[in-house]
Amino acid sequence: MASSDDPSRREGRYDRRELIRRAGVAGVSIGVAGSGFGQAFYGPLRFKGRWLKGDLTIIQWAHFVPAYDKWFTDVWSKNWGQKNDVQVKVDLILNTLLPARAAAEAAAGSGHDLFFNLSPQAQFEDQVINHVEIVQEVQRKVGKIGGLGKRATYNPKTKKWFAFADNYVPDPVVWRHDYWNGVGIAPSTWENVRKAAPKLKAAGHPIGIGQSAELDSNMALIAFMMCFGAYVQDAKHRVTIKSKHTIEAVKFMADIFQSGETDEIFGWTPASNNNFIYSGKGSMILNAISATRTPEDLGLPFADQLYIYPIPKGPTQRLGLEHVMGSYSIWKFAQNIPAAKQFMADLEINYKDAFLASKFYNFPTFPGALPFKKIQKLAAADPHKPRGKYQVLTTIAQKYTVNPGYPGYTNAAFSEVFGKFLIPKMFAQVSQGKMSAADAVSAADHDFKDIYAKWRKLGKI
Amino acid sequence: MDAVLRGFREKGLSYLIVGPFAIVLAFPFYVMVITAFKQQRDFYDLSHTPYWFHKGPTLSNARFLFNETQYTTWLRNTAIIGVVVVLITLVLAVPAGYALARLSGKLGQSVGVGIFLTYLVPPTLLFLPLFSVITQLDRQTSSLLHFHLRGSIWSLVLVYPSFTVPFATWLLMGFFKTIPRELEDAALIDGASRLGTLVRIVFPISVPGILTVVIFSFSLVVNEFVYAFTFISASAHRTLSTGVYTDLIRGDLPQWGAIMVASLIPSIPLALLYNTFLDRFIAGFTGGAFR
Amino acid sequence: MEALAAARPRGRRWTNVLERPSVLASVLISPAVVFILALVGGPLALAVYLSFTNAIGGSLHGKWIGLGNFRHEWTNPAFKDAVWHTFLFTVISQAVVLVVAGLLAHALLKKFPGKWLLRFLILLPWAAPLPLSLMGWTWIFDTTYSIINWTLQHLHLASTVSPPQWLAQPRLAMGSVIAVHAWRIIPFATVIFLAGLASIPKEVDDAAAIDGATGFRKFWSVSLPLQLPIATVALLFGIVFTATDMAVVYILTNGGPPPSNATEMVTTWAYKTGIESGSLGAGAAISLFLLPVLAVVAIGMLIFARRAEVT
Repeated sequence: MASSDDPSRREGRYDRRELIRRAGVAGVSIGVAGSGFGQAFYGPLRFKGRWLKGDLTIIQWAHFVPAYDKWFTDVWSKNWGQKNDVQVKVDLILNTLLPARAAAEAAAGSGHDLFFNLSPQAQFEDQVINHVEIVQEVQRKVGKIGGLGKRATYNPKTKKWFAFADNYVPDPVVWRHDYWNGVGIAPSTWENVRKAAPKLKAAGHPIGIGQSAELDSNMALIAFMMCFGAYVQDAKHRVTIKSKHTIEAVKFMADIFQSGETDEIFGWTPASNNNFIYSGKGSMILNAISATRTPEDLGLPFADQLYIYPIPKGPTQRLGLEHVMGSYSIWKFAQNIPAAKQFMADLEINYKDAFLASKFYNFPTFPGALPFKKIQKLAAADPHKPRGKYQVLTTIAQKYTVNPGYPGYTNAAFSEVFGKFLIPKMFAQVSQGKMSAADAVSAADHDFKDIYAKWRKLGKI
Repeated sequence: MDAVLRGFREKGLSYLIVGPFAIVLAFPFYVMVITAFKQQRDFYDLSHTPYWFHKGPTLSNARFLFNETQYTTWLRNTAIIGVVVVLITLVLAVPAGYALARLSGKLGQSVGVGIFLTYLVPPTLLFLPLFSVITQLDRQTSSLLHFHLRGSIWSLVLVYPSFTVPFATWLLMGFFKTIPRELEDAALIDGASRLGTLVRIVFPISVPGILTVVIFSFSLVVNEFVYAFTFISASAHRTLSTGVYTDLIRGDLPQWGAIMVASLIPSIPLALLYNTFLDRFIAGFTGGAFR
Repeated sequence: MEALAAARPRGRRWTNVLERPSVLASVLISPAVVFILALVGGPLALAVYLSFTNAIGGSLHGKWIGLGNFRHEWTNPAFKDAVWHTFLFTVISQAVVLVVAGLLAHALLKKFPGKWLLRFLILLPWAAPLPLSLMGWTWIFDTTYSIINWTLQHLHLASTVSPPQWLAQPRLAMGSVIAVHAWRIIPFATVIFLAGLASIPKEVDDAAAIDGATGFRKFWSVSLPLQLPIATVALLFGIVFTATDMAVVYILTNGGPPPSNATEMVTTWAYKTGIESGSLGAGAAISLFLLPVLAVVAIGMLIFARRAEVT
């Protein structure tokens, strides 16, 4: 293991640095008190971080694990601000409204210093700084950024880091152990899901994989496609949706829908599949672990029966997406760019607290910031039943989580396909019997190529 | 005897029409009331009737709303925005409406229609340039007055008249036309100035029309959400609707009970208020839109 | 001394100028016009400019591409669908509104005990802040906890395994957004109708009675023509609300359900294209498409409403 990955050494270094920093605070306050000597004291005591000043404004989603917001606002940001002489202000906003707010800030050329999004917004590339320095700073401290984070926030065409992803959220399958036990199957492969679907539905407990105009459907269906070897684009950002793999995947999902789901999946919002599980009706969803944390918090009687697994294996492979790619961007017009950069880097370097505050929801994009081994240990200590259920998250994160747009990068064209919910549309065409699988895929291919051509012309892919 | 019977029949007919519709229109509010006072575990329980309490009513949702969120601040913000916008609307629309009705002939008619048409411009994308206008102004106010327009409720106060004024002007234009000219002419002959006539004679008898504008503008302000969502980001500056959306949809689980309380608290007094002034409102509208 | 003497006449001349109707008119109108021009005209001009460019991601500039956006959307099936849905949504919801509001207004003209309470109930949807009452509707239409489905299931009118999905099945979804939109506008339309009915002179009714016109004939040849302008004004407001406000659709279905995206409106499509997908120029073009049509419709209706009243 490289020395920078050694947690004990890193912690030691951090402590020492903090000591010096605290000394700095003391030094400056003495200096200010004896005003005449202010300059003299200030000069030699300008350590890293000390040179920051002013306000730092942050806007981000109201986290799906509310405890995280409390920690982020009242603990982390407050402490960081005190250490760095910066007034940190955090605004929270409903996640579906982030795009509108981002567009408004970009248009006005004024806004928050750090703008959070649930998925990297490549279309704002021209309005944001190159975030390379933050990446480098964090890499110096904790080692390389994970491939997932890089592919989600770097544009190889323009060689620009258009966002800084601090975290991603693994996307397991959440299922009711008791219901599945009743039909004698476990959701380890998609074939099993298809086999169990009619029986589960007959028992009054349908499957819940959305095909609606919302985030979770997008994520689940694109991941599902990958298990069949079907991709929206290739590594060179050419549209590859038109393939026999996609056709197979779309047909397969139509089977699952017709035998094991109900029409409700076409009208879901991001919270619907959660409610579907919380009501005790649903037998399986693809979602982040907020779907198991909420029942634990509410004390729902079946919380112990909610198991988490990696995404089921398809004919080609077992491969899933992150559920959320938490990424911050700094506008070019941001008022306090130095503080924003430092804040991000510090947050990432000390990710353990964030991980715990999010109740294992957020994983750091830099694996070195909180090594998987440590996560394993923390997850094993989680008291909820079945004991150690969250340990599997590390396996999911390490082996089965890629970025949206894989094997390519998450780019503006892909984001538009995503933002217009064209993937759920393609699936729903077939599930509802409106089109043959081949026709639906061809139609999608036509739409996608149109979008890709547009962004290629703009020089962004 | 015949008349009594006829009256009876007519009343019966009225009940027959109004009753069912009133029930349908108010149905969501019944659901809101029940949900507002239900325990959380209760309304997730499908085995019992959703029309009544199973585990007994609770005030915990209301308590959550008032203790854990800045609900009272949002109420106050909405009220302030509503009142100030109504005032601005009146200051701009009353003179304009009067002038269009009385002083400017055929051209006035076209200008009136033109003003009304601006109401058709969809806010879906207008919020982008408008936000940019606010930001420009913010640079002035913050450097000159040390006051931040952007992100404060005053940015909404500035923008909302853009949709209340067109409507109000158009409505008042119609209303002023219904006021007999002779009243003003008499005052003018007595040597009063036109401005004086306007203030002393015309305004006092325009109260119903003005009331209509007040109620209508206020309801438009309370309903607005695109600007409110995009302009305001700090919880302390939020309005009712945006505050509820951000702070009560916690996690992936909306706080249904608290949301219903939040929704009922402004609705019921406003409906009472509207109902009380409805006859005057109607009088104002009769003048405004149909003459 | 001289200065004082000169000041007086000048002051009087100033008030004299104000006595001239055209001058006073300009003085009275200009604040409103300036305000509207600045806050609507300016941004609107910018939106028009954007619609001719390939602007992206919230920047208010782009390369001029002429009618490119309009041409592209014109051939885009998703846009055509959105136009058709908007048309259906507007026409059906307004038809419902007119009928219900007309009925309610006629019934509410009469005096009867309990009228105050019933009127209060009818006014509630108008008084409730829309984004909040829409949350109430999402709860009523919830896929799992829908109170409507619970009722239907207990009356054995719906299946327990796959009950109707009010926001997830294309026809039902369209029906639901239309119903909620009508629900929201009916109170206001009723008030307009009440106002309109109050403006019909009592003498007309009496004259009709003297002429021996009763029942259907009276309704057809006397009452209905008189009420057309009222309906027109109510309709005008309904159309304005429907065409410019995306709240109901955005919050209830966000244009879904796929694949038909049965409730995708021009407004939500513009929002998805321009804001959520970052193609700002195209989004501006989409949102401006309907403006001329709406303007023509509105002007026509305004002229009709005023003329009908004169004759």
